Amino acid sequence: MLKCTINGKHVEVKEGTTVIQAFKMLGEEIAHYCWHPALSVAGVCRLCMVEIEGNPRLQIACNTAVTEGMVVTNKSEKVKDAVKWGLDFHLINHPLDCPICDQAGECGLQDQYMKFGKYDPEMAEKKVNKHKAVDLGERVVLDSERCILCSRCVRFTEEISKTNELGIFNRGDRSEIGTFEDKPMTDKYSVNTVDICPVGALTSKDFRFKQRVWFLKDRPSVCPGCSTGCNVDVYYNREGFWRVKPRYNPNVNDYWMCDEGRDTYKYQNKFDTVVVGHRGEKEVMKNVNRVINPMHITGGHAEMMDVQFLLQKISEKLGASKPADVALVVTGQSTNEELSAIVSFFASKFDKKNIYHWQNEPEKWNEFDGLLMRGDKNPNTKGLLKVLEQNGVQAQLWKPSLTAGKLTIVVAPENHSAYKDFSAMVKWAGSGQSTIWLGPGLHEDMGMQGEWWVIPGKTTFEKKGSFENFNGHVQSFEPVTTVIDAAVSADEFVTLLKGANFLEIHKIYRNPVERVENQFIFERGEM
Amino acid sequence: MAEVKILTEHYHDDNYRTVDGYLAKNGYEMLKKALKMQPTEIITLVKDAGLRGRGGAGFPTGMKWSFLPNNGEERYLLCNADEGEPCTFKDRMMMERAPHQLIEGMIISAFAVQSKKSYIYIRGEYFYAADVLRKAIKEAYDKGFLGKNILGSGFSHDLDVYCGAGAYICGEETGMISSLEGLKGQPKLKPPFPAVKGYLAKPTVVNNVETLASVIYILRDGVQEYRKNGTEKSPGTKLFSVSGDVMKPGNYEVPLGYPLKDLIEKECGGLKPGRKLKAVIPGGTSAPVLTAEEAYKATMDYECLANMKSMLGSGAITIIDDTRCMVDLLGVITHFYHHESCGQCTPCREGTGWLNKIVRSIHAGNATVNDIDTLCKVADNMKGRTICALSDAAALPVLSFVPKFRSEFEYYIREGKSQVRGISYAQMHH
Amino acid sequence: MSGSVYKVNIPQQKTTWYLPAIFVGMGFTFKKMLKNLFDKKQMPTLNYPEEKYQYSSRFKGNHVLTVKKDGSIRCTACMLCATACPAQCISIIASEDEDHTVEKYPIAYEIDMLRCVYCGFCEEACPVDAIRMGPEWQTPGLNGENFVYDIKQLAYRENLNNGKGVISVVDEKERHQLI
Repeated sequence: MLKCTINGKHVEVKEGTTVIQAFKMLGEEIAHYCWHPALSVAGVCRLCMVEIEGNPRLQIACNTAVTEGMVVTNKSEKVKDAVKWGLDFHLINHPLDCPICDQAGECGLQDQYMKFGKYDPEMAEKKVNKHKAVDLGERVVLDSERCILCSRCVRFTEEISKTNELGIFNRGDRSEIGTFEDKPMTDKYSVNTVDICPVGALTSKDFRFKQRVWFLKDRPSVCPGCSTGCNVDVYYNREGFWRVKPRYNPNVNDYWMCDEGRDTYKYQNKFDTVVVGHRGEKEVMKNVNRVINPMHITGGHAEMMDVQFLLQKISEKLGASKPADVALVVTGQSTNEELSAIVSFFASKFDKKNIYHWQNEPEKWNEFDGLLMRGDKNPNTKGLLKVLEQNGVQAQLWKPSLTAGKLTIVVAPENHSAYKDFSAMVKWAGSGQSTIWLGPGLHEDMGMQGEWWVIPGKTTFEKKGSFENFNGHVQSFEPVTTVIDAAVSADEFVTLLKGANFLEIHKIYRNPVERVENQFIFERGEM
Repeated sequence: MAEVKILTEHYHDDNYRTVDGYLAKNGYEMLKKALKMQPTEIITLVKDAGLRGRGGAGFPTGMKWSFLPNNGEERYLLCNADEGEPCTFKDRMMMERAPHQLIEGMIISAFAVQSKKSYIYIRGEYFYAADVLRKAIKEAYDKGFLGKNILGSGFSHDLDVYCGAGAYICGEETGMISSLEGLKGQPKLKPPFPAVKGYLAKPTVVNNVETLASVIYILRDGVQEYRKNGTEKSPGTKLFSVSGDVMKPGNYEVPLGYPLKDLIEKECGGLKPGRKLKAVIPGGTSAPVLTAEEAYKATMDYECLANMKSMLGSGAITIIDDTRCMVDLLGVITHFYHHESCGQCTPCREGTGWLNKIVRSIHAGNATVNDIDTLCKVADNMKGRTICALSDAAALPVLSFVPKFRSEFEYYIREGKSQVRGISYAQMHH
Repeated sequence: MSGSVYKVNIPQQKTTWYLPAIFVGMGFTFKKMLKNLFDKKQMPTLNYPEEKYQYSSRFKGNHVLTVKKDGSIRCTACMLCATACPAQCISIIASEDEDHTVEKYPIAYEIDMLRCVYCGFCEEACPVDAIRMGPEWQTPGLNGENFVYDIKQLAYRENLNNGKGVISVVDEKERHQLI
């Protein structure tokens, strides 16, 4: 352990710690762009200047290792001046198009300029013009003028995703980020470059121009995209979810998440919003993609009703059925709490043999791309198997023929894209069967034929519960917000079947986005 | 005192560039001698002789060699022949006239640092020199001076020429290493220094052409004899590339500590008739400019020029007489550095562009007097804030040109034309 | 404290007799009426629906979205007006423009005039002079829907240069030239 003094505070650090890490440990403010804890040191932004006692020259904190008895400060006038000028150098060719920049509100330049800036610009020359709105492939848009060439994104593709797709081309103030021969970026983790971009140079195509970040709030949750269970922050407002960003967890996902996982908010929203048409004639289309009301459908005729009332009917129906004639279908997309509630409920009342496990492509379950993405697209397969074991259930794989003629309770998966046979299953369930369908997603073939009791299910971001990931790491999460008021989770469904009052057990998590007066700067944690 | 020809003794001989011509002048004798010595002996010898790097920084060579860690890792010796500093042309002459001198020097140095592989990184524009070197290396292989078991000593060494693509920044040692590794020519962050982690993350020594060639003569003459030339702290002779407004520009080998006045007036035949000395850039464009008074007092060694807040640099002396406009000249320099900044560190990337733009706006007559101060402020804040020294190299000319010739800048801004030439930039160039 | 004691003036006999005051008042009224009948020019009131008052240029009336020279909308959909709006009456949906020099523009811009408090913060917040408070205010409507103004009404309504819109002065290209 080495002792050092930082801004007058004494601290002991491990050997090999850099000065900037020591600053972060103490929570001292230090300006920086290119340094990122998970990436190698580039030392190019030259903002993390510190004054080290006994050294006449200012040093960068990111590439200076702490030595015994080191006395470091970044509060001296010399350092402050250097940082001011350093920021000014960053800004002289910055287009300052914050009004149309998606990063505005969570921008490193804005934040750090407010803290460390030099407020009398002396640049009177014409700015350098570079390429704007460059399409970098499926998910990322580049604006070279805004880029401060910190090289975080380049280092990300070199060191983390290892696709080496991005590079800096040209030199001097003509330098630009780009892909080789303008090929589209095919990185499966490309949006992480957007997250680590301290300015608005890289923006996400999906989120582009959808919302201003200061209208959004974020809450932690867990990504339901695959069995890795990345920790995420979900950004939402009254209208629903807008984007998903990774949250740091050294045990699971570090700072990253895959692009596929970022789409998981889409099916959880009430509407699938698309803009169609050309300039001047553009129109916003809203397609409903969630079940909004509880329904009882017979012969293609839907009857909307109150959850309480519907459940009463279901309860009667279940009570009238023979135990052998009722089946339960579960997937690894429900939480541990839901699964244990519904499985134990079913096991206590009906035949255990009739519990089925709906799987998809189990042969792919062991696939792993080396970073985060796993072949098992269910976030809680491990939890499901555990619950089944605890209840002494030997679940068979669900095949439509197995539950033919039975009253089937389907706790449907929320992420349809992972279930290749989802459509086929819905069609089958609608072919003259009796189905109690508890699931959030809407499907066009739902309720065409047969008898359906459709109960809107909750999605992961609306639920409280826990997932067990591929290596047995149990992660619990709280609801982010409620999108569909009538939606119930499987455990609530069981409680309701047992005769509870919907209004008593059902809480609507709504954290309305309140704007604090004149609050334009949002602190979004560490850079 | 006059020219002392040690390195350049046989340069007039056309045959000197072939292996036979070189052998005829006692070439490769020192290699034979060196191979019989202990490597550490050679390092001590070079240390004692006080040889300082001839590339620009003037770092003691023997010291650099002794920094290599003894961890049994493969070591590399790189010869920096990317002579990018404007107005420098000494290495080019050395490589074209005496390629074997460099090769011999490199083998001796490689033996001293126990490197099995070395490269000559030569700038892209020197294709003739590269040709000459390639030919000479082939000859040396044929004669057994390179390759396995050189002259039966058990020491093996391979040498290769690598052509750069014409970037000034690849003359910086870590930039050169990046370029050699096949990466974009950008300086690397220090620490780790090349001596610890250089080419392919192995211990690496990078030396200038002239430095490596000088090693031969330290071995030949011994420390005492070598130290006879030059000063106490800057021993030996050095090649100076004199250019600009003198009668006889060219390369001159003089002992370090030689008075600049003598160099101009005796060796170079003085200024053109009727002209007066106005300024001298003593060490390539990145060295701060000296006024005429300072230049007449200066002696060409590291210490004297450092005391004058300038530097010896690569030894490129640019003589500027009173017909030259300093504002115009500064424009050339800022344009060069703007063009050559690698774009890695922000202060340099943006600052070089900014400096150039301000000087251009002075040229175009759009500037105000405040811009002179801005120029200095920008340069001042670029200095010492980056990974490599290019930002200093860009800032120092500005910080010397502007205060020393401020009246010219003010005149240019006030009148919109050059004080010396009486015409504007546009008239001058179109 | 003595401050809590109030003195109440009880009216005197004389002042409770109102008749003289009524005559004085009526006298004044008739004098004005006769004056107005014979000399209309000095009359301070307006015959409202026929005559309209010219408001100061600083008057904050109904919003106007300005346009560029080519007639397209100036607004870049930065949503600063919506952010600044204390009544939260502005709703914008932004979209990507096919013209890359423009990038972002609003495909929908709606102001709920009934919620608007005419504070003018939107005008102040706008970085590109895209929204102004215009001179009109007498804009009746039959139901609530008539008061939700969309781009068509805000930028291209009949009384703004015959539906061509108000051009704001600095163009994007000119702005670059100024620099």
